This record gives sequence, C-alpha cells and structure tokens, in this order.
Amino acid sequence: MRCVRVDGGFADWRDKARTLLHEGVPPALVSWRDELMPADLFAEEALARYAPGSQVTVPRQVLELLERAARFRVAERWALLYRILWRVALGDAAAALPGDPDGSELHLRIKAVGREIHQLHALLRFVPLGGAGLPDYVAWFEPEHEVLDVACGHFAERMGRHSWLIATSRDGVWYDGERFDYRAEAPDEWQTLARTPDPEGQALWLAYYRSTFNPTRVNPQALRQHLPQRLWQQVPEGRLIPALLVQARMGAQRDGQAPEVSVRPGKRIRLRQQD
Amino acid sequence: MQLIDKLSILADAAKYDVSCASSGAPRRGSKGQSGIGSAGPGICHSFTPDGRCVSLLKILLTNFCLYDCQYCVNRRSSDVPRARFSPEEVVALTLDLYRRNCVSGLFLSSGIIRSADYTMEQLVEVARLLREVHEFRGYIHLKTIPDADPALIEQAGQYADRLSVNIELPSDTSLVRLAPEKTVAGIQRAMGTIRYRQQAVEGEARAPAFAPAGQSTQMIVGADDSDDHRILHTSQSLYRRFRLKRVYYSAFSPIPHSPATVPQAAPPLLREHRLYQADFLMRGYGFRAEELLGKPGNLALDIDPKLAWALEHREQFPVDLNRAEPSLIARVPGIGVLSAQRIEQLRRQRKIRYEDLRRLRCALDKAGPFIVTADYRPRQDSSESLRLRQQLAERPAQQMALW
Repeated sequence: MRCVRVDGGFADWRDKARTLLHEGVPPALVSWRDELMPADLFAEEALARYAPGSQVTVPRQVLELLERAARFRVAERWALLYRILWRVALGDAAAALPGDPDGSELHLRIKAVGREIHQLHALLRFVPLGGAGLPDYVAWFEPEHEVLDVACGHFAERMGRHSWLIATSRDGVWYDGERFDYRAEAPDEWQTLARTPDPEGQALWLAYYRSTFNPTRVNPQALRQHLPQRLWQQVPEGRLIPALLVQARMGAQRDGQAPEVSVRPGKRIRLRQQD
Repeated sequence: MQLIDKLSILADAAKYDVSCASSGAPRRGSKGQSGIGSAGPGICHSFTPDGRCVSLLKILLTNFCLYDCQYCVNRRSSDVPRARFSPEEVVALTLDLYRRNCVSGLFLSSGIIRSADYTMEQLVEVARLLREVHEFRGYIHLKTIPDADPALIEQAGQYADRLSVNIELPSDTSLVRLAPEKTVAGIQRAMGTIRYRQQAVEGEARAPAFAPAGQSTQMIVGADDSDDHRILHTSQSLYRRFRLKRVYYSAFSPIPHSPATVPQAAPPLLREHRLYQADFLMRGYGFRAEELLGKPGNLALDIDPKLAWALEHREQFPVDLNRAEPSLIARVPGIGVLSAQRIEQLRRQRKIRYEDLRRLRCALDKAGPFIVTADYRPRQDSSESLRLRQQLAERPAQQMALW
C-alpha cells in the first residue's frame, strides 16, 4: 500500500498521480491523504516528482473533468480521480462518462461544483464601501466547494471598473478594477472587511422581496428545492422567509396582496368626461 | 411618498406577471470599461416562498391605469393604493440593486396613463437612460403597450433584450368580455411589429440588435372557462406566427376587491404546471399540440403530459435503447433530451444496461414499462394502459389542502 499526501491542490495531485501511473501502481494500492483527513505522518511517503518522458497519455478533456471534480470538498476526493485516470490510461474511455459507476460519481461532483459556482454568482451580496485604500464593494460568501478562483471573473464583467473584495472562510480575491489578487488563504483584514454589515442598505431589497412574493402561491417544498434551508443565512432575505411562510398559511392566501400594501388607503380612478 | 413605499406598492402590483427570465441575451460584459453590467446565462438571485425565481427587478412604472381589465389588480375600479415612479427613480433603484448583486436587470411594465403612446414613451425613456446615460449592460425586459405607435416599439427594441406583449386570455371572446379596452387585433399588431423588426435584422451582422432575447407573452389560466386544448393550440399558433421565445402561463390568483366576473378560488397551480410541461414538450421535444391533446378538454392532472402521450401510443413502445433514434428515446417518459444524448454517447462504447439508466438518473418507475435494454424487458409490456396509469399516477398535490 502506498500512502500519498496531496497538499497543493489539483496540480500537486496530478504530478503525484503521474508518477504513480508511470510506476504502474494500481488504484487499489494507493491511499490518498489531504487536509480533510487526519495526518498519518509515519505512513506517508515523500513521492518523487514525475519524470517527464513517459508514454502515458490521457485526453485533455478528461483532465479538465478531473480538475473540475477536484474542487468538490470531500475526504476521499483523490481516490476516485486516480481510479478514473488509471482506467482511462488503460484505454477504458467509459470511465469518464456519466453512465459508468466511477464516471457517474465524477459527474455528480462536477455538477455540484457547477451548482456552487452558480450559487456564488447568484447569492453573493455586495455591500458598498469605498474610501481611501478600500474596495468600492465587499462581500462575504461561504461556498461549499473550492470555486472562488474560477467563479470570480464573472464579477469583473459585471462590475466594470469598480473595485471589489470577496472573502470566504478559506480564500479571498481583491479586484482593483484591472487585476485580480487571489489568495488561497485570505488575510484576516480581508475577512473583516468582507463581513462589513449593511442593515440599512438592505431595506429596499427586503421591501422588494416581501412585495414580489404572492402568498396565494405559497409553496414551501418548491422553495426548499430551489433554495435549500442551509442557504437562507447566506442572503439577507433569508430571515424573512419563516414569517412570510407563516403569514401565507394564516390566511394571507385569500388574495395575493402583500400586507404592507393592503393596509394603505386605496384609490379608484375615475375617467375624465370625454369632450 | 418615500421611495421604499413606492417600491412596495409597485412590486406588489407587478408580481402577477410571471416572467422573470434573464437569459437569452447575447453575452456581453463591462470588464475594464466604463459603465456597468453583463449578460449571459440567466441567474436566479433568490427565490420567494412560492418557489419562484427572482432574477430581475420586476416593477410597474405606475399602477394608475385607465383600463378596467377584470382580472387585473390595477384596473381603474380597483380600490388599491396607487403610486408612480419617475424614470430617474427606476434607474437609480435598478442600478443600486444591480450593484448589490440582488438582480440581473429590470423588467418594467406599467398601467396605462394618459394614452398608450405616452405610457410607452415613459418605458422607453427608462431604458434609454439606463443604456445611454449609465452604460448599463445588464438585462432589460420591457412590456410593450399594445396600440402604441410602432415607432415607439422600434425604439424599445433597440434598448431592451426582451419585449413582451401579453395575449392575456386564451380566447378572443374572453378578452372582449374581461378586458373591454383591449383588442385581439391590437395585441397581435404589436406582436407582428416586433416580429417584423426582428426579421429585418436577422442575418445582418452589422444591423443594430433588436430585442435579441426575443419576445414572449403571458396567458392567464383559470380566469375564464377556456380549456387546455384551446390554450395549447393558441400557444402553438403564437409560436408559429410570431416566433415567440416563450408563452408564460399564469394561474389566475384571486385579487383584492375581486369583481364578480372572475373566480375567487385558489390559483390552479397544478394545471399551470401541466401546461408548462406540455409547452416544454412543444418547444424542446417536437411534440405538436394535437399530439398532446387530441380533443377538447384539459390535460390530465394525475400524470404528466409525456406519460399521457406514451400511454395513448403503446404501439410505439417498448423502445430499444441500444437501437432507437435519440429523438425517439427522448419521447420515452422519464428520459429527457440530455439523458437521450448521454445514452447515445455511452452506447458507442458498449451496450446499454438497466443499471446505466439508474446512474444517468432517469425516472425508472416511469421509463421502465416503455424500454428495452441489453438485460431488461418490461414485465408490464403486455399490461393495459389503464392499469399502468393507475400505478404511475401521482398523489394529489398537497397545495389543495391549504384552503
């Protein structure tokens, strides 16, 4: 049994996987370790880096799939990737297809990573900041998988020349309007800045959220399907949801109007007499 | 009145229009440029407790309205609070919520004030300010006022990604009865104007884009007694005549101070859902309306339209997944277009087996009776459609129990 530690992300794993592949070590004889698993310093070996010149080739598309799946945070993430790499290198192309036992797990992870990128684009909320030496906008987000570095380009397209900072509990990125400064470990001051509270600025958004909801259509099941409860704390409107659900069940379902609107005086419109 | 109060009223007044798509616009961005905003695949920034997506700031410019459409909360005889935004207020709100990453753009509509032309001018002005003054590259959807001057519609299409004109009701007689100021001819003329302008720039790489995310419409379901047969045929003819991107179906939901001409019942959500499924089969799977519903009546509520079609056409099944054309595989209940492609991809490597379908996450309880794989033939192959239907029917929706 070979016990190999990965501490430099996908690039590090790829180097070590190549070496093992080159040496002909089958997947069943490798135990992969990383920061999500307890260290076992005695068992782990320092692997020589891969010596170029080997005959083993794997299609680039497969490597791209593996790179994507490596962003999925799970304790056993490297073993699956090596098994697929091994099988594809031996000519079994089905290993990377969604219908295959390994391939379907690979694609499940890729799908989850894609969803996480989408969630970050959708649910991150910027708080305006500005001031000397500070970014124009800041945001705190906690993605489940390692996606910030691939997801952040979207905001440069979206925000034009504005500068912004996004931090998570692991990494962070500061965009100054021209260049990205990505850090795998976000400095403490980034994390503090990113968590700047903004109670007043959210008022308009919360008012909008309350009003655009139609209580006659309340559907908690559909809500949870699209916006799982773990994400409610990620967005400011999340704390309105329980009360809105209760209100809708307590009789607001009779018509669609928001209570904030129905308490106001109404106005019928009379047509002017035609001349 | 404070801006936040106007927002509460005018978002409440706009929510009965269900479209919230922000997709379909050409990919564009602001990286390294002045101005702000990007467009590309649609983004759902939140979901309300009805499970519907919030992608755009969806508001009315004003809910003052001269019309008296019976199904509409903003009709002139309705006793609702009224408010009006200035174009600049809408612009400021859109930009603020956009920068906060709460929305991906604006969906602006309006009650009819003074005249159709005046109202349309105001909507166009908002879009112009966003695009020309603020260099906003996010998504803009403008509701088009039927009977507005075609020149105004033309301007609107230069600024907006999507234009929509609501057909409102599935039948002409219902429109006459419930929306006395609107006419089918006026609505179709506006759709035709948009289609005509789109055709004019099609294939012309250098022509300025015209509503590049296409036009859509909305039909209210359950406010009149039109059946699904009529609804699907109306949709099909709209797709064909005006090349609409989408027909949205809005289950009529009771409004405050409801007039006696429209129902005061819970919105028919399951019926709306079945219509969306049928509509999707027409747009994405090549089904025709007459295949899905051959005679007057409604779609079944207990089974989905694809399963209903398969049960009516047992002679085409079971389909051998190792031989059949992908387009036929996609017609199997429980197997979508994407899974059909994946099956085709996988069978070039090896024979398709039953377990593969589970891993592709096909709905096997539905697909089972209709397929053949290398190691599987359906037992129910000979069982009657009626019995199959009883086995596969869904339980009634929980929604009903709430009333």
